Amino acid sequence: MNMDLLIWLIPLPPLLAFAAIVLFTNRSKALSHSLAIGAAGLSWLASMVVFFTAVGREELAKHPLGVDLKVNWLPLGDGAFKIGVQVDPLSAVILFFVAWTVLMIFVYSVGYHNFGQPAGDHDKPGLPPHGATVKVKGHGHQVPSVEPMYSRFFAMISLFAFGMFLLVVTDNLLTLYMAWEIMGLCSYLLIGFWYAKPSARDAAVKAFLTTRVGDMFMLLGMAALYKMTGTLNYQEILANPTVLEMLASQAAPVLGLSWAGLIGILIFMGTVGKSAQFPLHVWLPDAMEGPTPVSAMIHAATMVSAGVYLSIRFFPLISAGWDGGGALTPAMMTLAVVGAVTALFAATIAVAQNDIKRVLAYSTISQLGYMIAALGVGAYVAAAFHLVTHAFFKALLFLGSGSVIHGMEHGVLHTHQHIDPQDMQHMGGLRKKMPVTFWTFLAGGLALSGFPLVTAGFWSKDEILSGAFNGGHVWVFVILALAALLTAFYTARQITLTFLGQARSEAAEHASESRAVMTAPLVVLAFFAITAGWVGIPKAFPGLGGLVPNWFEEFVGEMLLVHGEAAHHSLVPLITSLVVALGGLALGWWVYRDVRAGQKDPLQKPLGPVYTLLQNKYYFDELYGATVVRFSRWVSEVFTDRWLDRGVIDGILHGIAAAGLWLGGVLRNGFDLPVINRFLGDTVVAGGTRKLGAETSKIQTGRLQQYMLMGLAVVLAASAIIYFFFVMA
Amino acid sequence: MIPISWFLIFSAALFCIGLFGVLARKNTIGMLMGVELMLNAVNINLLAFWAYRYAGQMNGLVFVAIVFAAAAAEAAVGLALIISVYRRRTTVMADELNLMKG
Amino acid sequence: MDLLTNHLLTLILFTPVVGAVVLLFLPAKNIRVLRWAALAASLVPFGLALGLWARFDPSAEGFQFVEMMPWYPAIQSSYHLGVDGISLMMVLLTVVLTPLAVLASFTVTERVKAYMFLFLLLETGMLGVFLSLDLLLFFVFWEVGLVPMYFLIAQWGGTRRNYAALKFILYTMGGSLGLLLATQMIGVVAGTFDLTELFQIWPALNSGTLLGLPMATVKAVAFWAFVIAFAIKVPVWPFHTWLPDAHTEAPTAGSMILAGVLLKLGAYGFLRLVLPLYPLESKLFAGWLAALGALAIIFGALGAFGQKDFKRLVAYSSINHMGFVVLGIAAAAAAVGSQDAVIALNGAVLQMVTHGLSAAGMFFLVGVIYERTHTRDLTEFGGLFAQMPVYGGVLLFTAMGSLGLPGLAGFVSEFLVVRGAWPVFTLATALSMIGLFFTGAYILKALKMVLHGPLNERWKGKLPEMSLREGIVIAPLMVLMLILGVWPAWALDVINRTVSMISLAMSLWF
Repeated sequence: MNMDLLIWLIPLPPLLAFAAIVLFTNRSKALSHSLAIGAAGLSWLASMVVFFTAVGREELAKHPLGVDLKVNWLPLGDGAFKIGVQVDPLSAVILFFVAWTVLMIFVYSVGYHNFGQPAGDHDKPGLPPHGATVKVKGHGHQVPSVEPMYSRFFAMISLFAFGMFLLVVTDNLLTLYMAWEIMGLCSYLLIGFWYAKPSARDAAVKAFLTTRVGDMFMLLGMAALYKMTGTLNYQEILANPTVLEMLASQAAPVLGLSWAGLIGILIFMGTVGKSAQFPLHVWLPDAMEGPTPVSAMIHAATMVSAGVYLSIRFFPLISAGWDGGGALTPAMMTLAVVGAVTALFAATIAVAQNDIKRVLAYSTISQLGYMIAALGVGAYVAAAFHLVTHAFFKALLFLGSGSVIHGMEHGVLHTHQHIDPQDMQHMGGLRKKMPVTFWTFLAGGLALSGFPLVTAGFWSKDEILSGAFNGGHVWVFVILALAALLTAFYTARQITLTFLGQARSEAAEHASESRAVMTAPLVVLAFFAITAGWVGIPKAFPGLGGLVPNWFEEFVGEMLLVHGEAAHHSLVPLITSLVVALGGLALGWWVYRDVRAGQKDPLQKPLGPVYTLLQNKYYFDELYGATVVRFSRWVSEVFTDRWLDRGVIDGILHGIAAAGLWLGGVLRNGFDLPVINRFLGDTVVAGGTRKLGAETSKIQTGRLQQYMLMGLAVVLAASAIIYFFFVMA
Repeated sequence: MIPISWFLIFSAALFCIGLFGVLARKNTIGMLMGVELMLNAVNINLLAFWAYRYAGQMNGLVFVAIVFAAAAAEAAVGLALIISVYRRRTTVMADELNLMKG
Repeated sequence: MDLLTNHLLTLILFTPVVGAVVLLFLPAKNIRVLRWAALAASLVPFGLALGLWARFDPSAEGFQFVEMMPWYPAIQSSYHLGVDGISLMMVLLTVVLTPLAVLASFTVTERVKAYMFLFLLLETGMLGVFLSLDLLLFFVFWEVGLVPMYFLIAQWGGTRRNYAALKFILYTMGGSLGLLLATQMIGVVAGTFDLTELFQIWPALNSGTLLGLPMATVKAVAFWAFVIAFAIKVPVWPFHTWLPDAHTEAPTAGSMILAGVLLKLGAYGFLRLVLPLYPLESKLFAGWLAALGALAIIFGALGAFGQKDFKRLVAYSSINHMGFVVLGIAAAAAAVGSQDAVIALNGAVLQMVTHGLSAAGMFFLVGVIYERTHTRDLTEFGGLFAQMPVYGGVLLFTAMGSLGLPGLAGFVSEFLVVRGAWPVFTLATALSMIGLFFTGAYILKALKMVLHGPLNERWKGKLPEMSLREGIVIAPLMVLMLILGVWPAWALDVINRTVSMISLAMSLWF
C-alpha cells in the first residue's frame, strides 16, 4: 500500500467512528464501543506499519515519509497554503506510543464504564453512575451500574484520538494547531463529561480557558512565523539552516529578541498552556473531575504530550543561534527556567495531596517540566526519550489508579460506607485484594521515581540529569535532582498508602480486583513501562553501555542540525540519580509504612504551615480567582457593559436624542403653536376659509329644483351678459 | 310655406313647458318627463334649421339622432335611479330627497 | 433559456418582490399557505443563485453576468448589475439564509402576511446592494433594506421593541444621510454614478471645484461620509450600541438576517466602495480603522462576557467577530498590493461568510430555547443538556463554530486575518488576542449556564426536543460551517482572485 496515503489515513478511522456514533449508533452501547475500539485498532495497525517502515528507512530525518502527497488547502494570492503529512523519527516514536496508549485506554474504558452491568437505579445523564440493585437469592445487592452516557464517551474519545493522530502525522504548524484545538475541545467535553456536577463543569471551563491563553500566543507566533518564512511546513523551516539563520539574525521589535527567539517563545507559550507549565498549570489538577480514562488520555498519552511534542518539534527554531555548547538562547533560557521551576514546584504540591489522581496530576506537571527543562538546556534526545517513557508509565499509573478507585467503589457499594473512593487516607492493604493492579502500579510507580536499571523512567531521567550537568547548567541540575527526590518520595508515599499496610476503611477491606478488560491494558502498559527504557541506554553508561545499541539516540538524534557537545559522561549525575531515586523511595516508605485509620499525615506536624501551603497548592487558584477572574468579570460586566456601552456611548446617543427632542419642543412651543397655528392659522387662513364655507354652504339646500333654478338663473345671466356685452357691442 | 319662425316659437314654447315641469313638479318622474320635453324642443329646433338652411347636408339629422340616443339613455338611467331610490326610501318626491344638503 | 442567462441577476434580484406581491393576494386567514408560499418564493432565488455560482468563472477578472439598462439617463445613472467573487459569496449567503429564516419564522402567528411580505422585500434590498454596480442604485437598495427591518423589529419584536427599532433606524439613517451626500457629490463631480467608470476616474481626480470647495475637501468629505455610514452598519466600535438592542428585541428570524446579512452590508461597502475609490485616503487612515477594529474585537468580547441575557451575549459576539473583518480590511488598506493585503482581504471576506453562518445559527438556537422557556436570562437555565440532548449537541457545535474552533468555519478566516494584519498592525493584532481569548470565555460561559450544571427543576420534563423543522433550519448551517472549516478552498477559490485584483488595482494609484 502507498505509504503516503496510509499516513493520511491514520487519523481517519477515529473520526469516522466519532461521526458514526454521534449520528447513528448512539443508542447501542455495544455497537458504539465496537466502532470506537475497531477504529482505534485500525489506526494502531496503520501506525505500527508506518512506524516499522520508518525505523527501517535510512536517513529518515532528511527524507521523511509521506511528504509527496500534499493538497492545496488555502488558495492565497498567486500561491496556496499546502497541507500534508510527514513521519520523521520524532513523529514516528510519538506515533508509536500514542497508538499503543490510545488503544489500551479505549479497551480499558469498556470496563471502567461498567459495560455489561445493569442500568442504575437513579442514574441520570450528566452524573456519575451510583450503582444498581440486583436481587440474588432474594437479597438486594448493590453493584456498579453502567454509565448512562456510555456511547457519548466513546464518541468523544474517538474525536480526541483523531486530534492526536492528526497532530502527530501532520507536516505543518497550522494543521497541528487545528488538531491541538480539537483536542482542547475534547478535553473540555471530557473533563466536563459529568456536566451536571458543578465542579466538573467549572473544571472543564477552566481547562479550556487556561490553555486558550497559551493558544493565543501561539497563534501570534504562527502568524509571525508564516510572515517571516512564507510557510509553516516543518521541513521548509526547521530542516532549513538558511531560514533558521535568517530568523536568528533578524531583530524582532520586542525586548531585543531575534525573530527566532520571539517566535520560539510565542510558540512555547502554547506548550505552557497545553502541558500545564507554571504559571498556567492550574487547570490540570482540576481536570481530574473527568472519568479516569480521560485523565490518562489527557495527562499521559496525548494532550499534554502534544504540548511537549510541539516544543521538541520547534527545538531547532528555539535553539536557532545556539552553537551547541555556549550560552543558551533567550528562548532556551525561558524553557529551562519554566521547566525547572515547574518540575520542582509541582513535585512539592504532589507530596501533600491525598486524592490518588491529584498526586498523579501534579506528578505529570512536574515530569513535563522535566522535559521542558531538558529541552531548555539542549538535551533534545533526552526530552523526547522521557516523553515516550513517561507516556507509557503515566498512562499506566492513571489507569491503575482508576482500577483502584473502581475497586474502592465496589467496596463502597458493598458496605454502604460514605467515603470518597479516591482518597488515599481510606485505602491501604489493597495489595492482596487487587494483585494485578498492585504489581502493574508498582512497575509504573518505580518507573516514575526512576528505579535504577530495570525501569524505563530511570534511563530517560538519568539522561536528562546528565544532559543538564554535562551542559554546565548546574542550577537546573540541582533543581531537577531535588524534584526527582520528591518524585520518588511521593511515589513511595502513594504506593505505601494505597497498597501496603492494613486497610484503613471497611470499603478498602471489601475492595475487589477489576475485570480483565481493565487489567489487561495495565499489563501491556507495564511491559512498556519497563522495557521502553532499554532502547536508549547511553553508550557511556558504566557496565551496561554498549551492550545494547543506543537506538533511540541514533534514531531521534538524527533530527538535529546542531548537536550538543559529545557527552563526556560524568559519574556525578548517575550517582545523584541513583541516590535520589532509592533514597526518596525508601524515605517515602519509611514515613508512611504504618499510617493508621484516621491518623493525620505524618508530615503535617514537622512541616507545619508549609504543609498547609502545599496542600492548598500555594493558593494559586485563590490568587487567580481574586485577581484575573475577578478583574475580567469587573472589566466585562461593570466597565464595558455598564460604564462604557450603557453609560458613555449610549449616554451620548441619548444626549443627542434628548437635544433633538428639546429643539423640536422649542420650535413647536415658540414658533409653530403661537405663530403658525394661532395667528396665521386660527385667524387668517383657516378662520377665513371656515367662515366662507359656513356662509356658502347655505345655498346647498339639497333640493334638486333649487339647484336647477340656480342653474337656470346663471344661464340666463350669462346669456344676458354675452348678449349685451358681446353681441350688441 | 310655413315660415321658420313658427317652428321656433313652437319649440320655444315646448321648451318652456318642459322647463316649468322640471322646476315645478315634485315628482321626479314628472321632472324626467319635463327633461324629455326640453330635449324634444331642442330637436325641433335642430330639424327646423336643418330643413330651412342646410337641407343638402346630413349634419342636422345626425345631431338629432344623437340627441334621441342620449334622451333614451337618460330616460333609462333616470328611471332606474328613480326605482332604486323608491326601493330605499319609498318616495320619489324631489323635496324629500335632500341628503346632499350642505 | 436566453432570458435566464442574460438576466440571471435581475431574476435573482426581483423574484422575492414578485413573491411578496403574490403573497398580498393570498387569503390572510390561511397562515399555512402564506408560510409555504413565502418559503417557496425565497427558494427560487436560492435555486437561481446556485445556477449563478455554477456558471461563475472564478479565474476571470472583473464583473460577470453584467446587465446594463438606462435608468436615469438625465443624471447618468443606470441599472447596472454584476457580480465578482466577493458579491457572489454575499449573494450566496443571503439566498441561503433567507429561506432558513423564513422557515424559522413558521412560529410567527400574528399578521403572517405582512411579516412574510416584509421579509421578502428585505431580501431584495440586501441582494440589490450586493449586485449593484451603480452608486445611486446601491444607495436605493441600501435604503430599501432598511425599512422592512424597522417594521420587523417594531411590530414583531420583544418588550422594548419601540426603543430598539427607533435606535436602529435613526442610527442607520444618520449614516445614510452622509452616504447620500457623498453619492451626490461623487455623481456631480465625476458626471457618472457608474462604479466601473468611477473606479477609473475618481481616485485620479484632484482638480476642479464643487460649489467653491476644492477637490481635496470634497473627496475628504465624501470619504468620511462613506466610512461613517459603513462603520455604523458593520458596526465598528464605538458605533455599535444599536446592535445589541436591535438584536435582542428583533424576532428570531430578524436577528438571523440582521446578523447574517445586514451587518455584512457595511463591510461590503468598505470593500466595494471605500477601498477602490479611496486607495490613498484608506491607506492614510488605515491605522485608525485597525485600532477601532481591535477595540471592537476586545470590547465586543468583553461586552458579551458581561451579559446575563443569552441573546445580548450572542449580539455582542457579532461585534467581536465583525471586528476581525474590519481589522482585515484595515490591514489590506495599509499594506496595499502586498501578499499580506491579499491574505487579510481573503480572511475578511471569508470571515463575513463564516460569521453569517455561525451568528445566524446562534440566534436561531437562542430563539429555539426562548420559544420553550420564554426567558433569555442565562441564570434561569442550567443542565438543559440532559433534557434536550440533540439541542445540546447542536448548540455545542454551533457555539464552537462561533468560537472559531479549527475544523469549523470561523478559524480559517480568523487565522488569515491575524496572519495578514500581524506584519502591518502588530500591536493591534496582538491586542486583539485578548478579544479572541474572551471569545472563548463568553462562549463557554453561555454553554456552561445553559447546558451544564445541575438541572433547574423548573424545566424538568417541560422542554420538548428540537422539532424536525428546527433541525432542517440549523442543519444546512452546520453542514456549511463544517465544510468551510475542513475544506475552505472552494470558497477561497472564488474570493481569492477578486481580492487579489482589488488589491492590485489599489496599488496602481501609488
